[in-house]
Amino acid sequence: MNSIPDEPFRTDLTTWEIGPYHGSLPAPMRLRLSLDGEIIARCQVETGFLHRGLEKACELHSWKAAVSYADHLDPESAVFGELVLCLAVEEIGEISVPARAQFIRIILSELTRISAHLAFIVRMAKAVGSETVVHYVLRDRERILDLFELLTGARFSINFLRFGGVRADVTDGFIERVLEVCEMIRIRMKEYNDIFTFNHGFLKRSAFVGILPLNLVRTCGITGPNARASGVSLDLRKDSPYLGYEGLEFQVPLGLGEEGAVGDSHDRFLLRLREVSQSMEILKQITERVPSGDFINQKIDKEYVVPPGEAYSRIESSRGLLGCHVVSDGKLRPSRVQFRTPTTSHLMAVPPLLTGVRIEDLPVVLASLDLGIAEADR
Amino acid sequence: MNSQYLWTISWCDALGISTQLSGWVYSLMALICTFFFVVAPCGAVMSYLDRKLSADLQARVGPNRAGPGGIFQPFADILKLLQKDSQERWDWRENFWLSMHTMALYSTLAVLPLGSAALLVDTEMTAFLPFWSALVLALGTMLLGLSQDSVPGWFGGIRVAAQSLAGSFSALIALLCVGVRSGGFRWSVLANSQGFAPWSWAMFSNPFQLVAFFVFVMSGLVLLAIPPLDGGLSMSDIHGGVSSHLFGRRLSLFRFGRFYGFFNWSVITVVLFLGAWRLPKEITEALVKVEAKGLLSFIELIWLLIKTFFLMLLIVWVARVTTRCRVDQITDFTWKVLSPFSLFALLGASLWAGWKAY
Amino acid sequence: MRYSVFTQVGIYVREVSSGARSILESCLTAFPYLFRWGDLRKEVTEGYPDPVSSKMADDLPPRSRGLLFNDIDRCTGCKECEVVCPSQCIRVEDEPGAEAAKIWVSVFDIDFARCTFCGLCVDGCQPGSLVHTRQYEGAAYSVSDLVASFGRGQVTPEQRAKWAALRQVSDGEEALL
Repeated sequence: MNSIPDEPFRTDLTTWEIGPYHGSLPAPMRLRLSLDGEIIARCQVETGFLHRGLEKACELHSWKAAVSYADHLDPESAVFGELVLCLAVEEIGEISVPARAQFIRIILSELTRISAHLAFIVRMAKAVGSETVVHYVLRDRERILDLFELLTGARFSINFLRFGGVRADVTDGFIERVLEVCEMIRIRMKEYNDIFTFNHGFLKRSAFVGILPLNLVRTCGITGPNARASGVSLDLRKDSPYLGYEGLEFQVPLGLGEEGAVGDSHDRFLLRLREVSQSMEILKQITERVPSGDFINQKIDKEYVVPPGEAYSRIESSRGLLGCHVVSDGKLRPSRVQFRTPTTSHLMAVPPLLTGVRIEDLPVVLASLDLGIAEADR
Repeated sequence: MNSQYLWTISWCDALGISTQLSGWVYSLMALICTFFFVVAPCGAVMSYLDRKLSADLQARVGPNRAGPGGIFQPFADILKLLQKDSQERWDWRENFWLSMHTMALYSTLAVLPLGSAALLVDTEMTAFLPFWSALVLALGTMLLGLSQDSVPGWFGGIRVAAQSLAGSFSALIALLCVGVRSGGFRWSVLANSQGFAPWSWAMFSNPFQLVAFFVFVMSGLVLLAIPPLDGGLSMSDIHGGVSSHLFGRRLSLFRFGRFYGFFNWSVITVVLFLGAWRLPKEITEALVKVEAKGLLSFIELIWLLIKTFFLMLLIVWVARVTTRCRVDQITDFTWKVLSPFSLFALLGASLWAGWKAY
Repeated sequence: MRYSVFTQVGIYVREVSSGARSILESCLTAFPYLFRWGDLRKEVTEGYPDPVSSKMADDLPPRSRGLLFNDIDRCTGCKECEVVCPSQCIRVEDEPGAEAAKIWVSVFDIDFARCTFCGLCVDGCQPGSLVHTRQYEGAAYSVSDLVASFGRGQVTPEQRAKWAALRQVSDGEEALL
């Protein structure tokens, strides 16, 4: 017997699958949504569409080639993958790195951080449909990519770091160009603020939307700007300095919830803008004191073999804590390379964050989390 | 014979066609002429201006390949869209609702005010008639969306309908404000109460009319789901809503319908608030004296269209620079901000009119 | 918390006016772009196949990693590049040439469909024959067109035998010396 009474006006949950390719998604992934009207009642995330087998590929190629694979870990911020691998290998081989090389690495890291955060602004502006800002920010990001091309020869996948240093010394005029670009971005930031950051429409779309609570940060292991926007002061550049960040003065901005609540989408957006200015601060300090000397440890030649051992290194990438575990058995190839990527944790927070959100806010929430699907799928 | 389509008769004379035809033939010819010689060219010009303006605002070049400065870009677009068509899918419901809402939409060509002579219908209630176009567009879009069997279509359709309901209220009240000022809803009455100079436009006649102007423009944007208030056709989450399943010729038909809604609304706004087609008195009198009626209506049309394009480009500018609003925020804004302001404007405009009469 | 009517009206008016003001401000920020005021507001699009405005190969920075080129006369066929290449896009086949010191590089194919332009092969090239050119226009209509061949070509068996004989002669001379 059918015990469910006939309702005259029954409303069911609608199911909607988005993806793997859709305008509201930052990269290939699939969302299975149950919608109650326009409100998301349940959400499942499926990833893996961008799996390239990077970790396995590292095991199949020489140590040198592993760097160029680590480079592809996150195409948008290539330096961080290379850097974390190089740091781990240098720890295994106890390779000393010349001070000049470290400084070049910091310059590259911070430039990458700025460019990744600018790309974040682009995605955020696209999510709320503000075309003009998209074009302005992409134009300015191009200046940074030009810097990469000047130094390394490539705009993306720069493949510039080597065990014990970097591939080549800075070219003439590079440092001046870096300062020039910093100055230009400082001017542009004011323009972004005028046109976008405090625009009423943008505030309406992002403030109080997708609030990431502190307990979710803890349970999912979220790091980086997303965690800092929710009030967790965690920045490896300060907490366990690498490369030489200990000698630099900068602040770690935290989310304050000026326009909405602490940890909402607008807070995450503002925090990244602040990080861009802190990165420029670091660049200004470091360009003043680039030491002379070698750009690579000359002992690391073609015949260098990484001794047996294992190491775990971690750095602060533009998205959060990026770790790398390298095992060497003294042969020509790495025995095991494994990455701990921040986006994997961010993805865990997507279903609880999206529950109860209108579908129009879905692109905004996803964009504000700054998901790098490439590094999560590897 | 109704004297209001005399302009078609004079053209027929010039072209050597017999002038002894019945009235409905002239009406039909007037509609076809309006569509092909006014609305369609305006669509081409506006699409070019829209692209160039957006490109300039965004530090880009914009169309630059088709012809000098890319001026033939609209034709290239049309040719390309006409070539594309779906081969495998033929959904009768979609075709039915698309053609229904397109035909109903263009029926409002009859009431489009384009000049003192080029008025096909000019009755006591004509100013209310263009609301058809808006409501028909909304209803047609909703039914089109609901017939699409896809989540973006459903949401897009329902959102557009919700927006239109919210927007029509304040738009109608803002229309009453000008009616109170000019003392009637005939196009000719509304136009003749204004002059050529900006200070004699209805918009600047008193502060309440200014409020009414802004309310009218914005509620029109809501009513017709035009950017920036186009949450119903949001691109980032539902792929443009109803238009997400249309492509090729159907998409061009749909998009041109949306353009026509926007154009229609801007023309009406210009007629109601921005001095209509009124030229300086001397020019009008001189032209009437030499009986150059065709020339007069042509100059009036050009002047009207210039103002219309200016208004449309202003709206495009705002749309490009600001973010796209969420649909619940749009309806919220319409009910909580536009409606009270429209009531406020109506009250003020009535008192002002009463004070003047007294 | 409940506010009084006046406070509520005040909040309402403030919100409406701030919204209007911020939209006006956004519009005004973009306004100078319409007239390209100042160096910072120039348009940045460059027409691509346009000899006047688009970038030429000479405008690229000195280290630009363009398409690869191998100077086969200097190539020693050591296969260092083939070994180091992470995407295995280089294929080298060689055999002894007419002289003992000279290696005949019969096949040197670079598959640009797989190449990631990482530059490891160029770094590892001992004789410095493999270089990045400043050429970047590598588009092709089919995948097979993307393979660049620099090899000297396959050797016929007769030639192979002839060279082997020549080498033996020169070896003999060396032994005599």
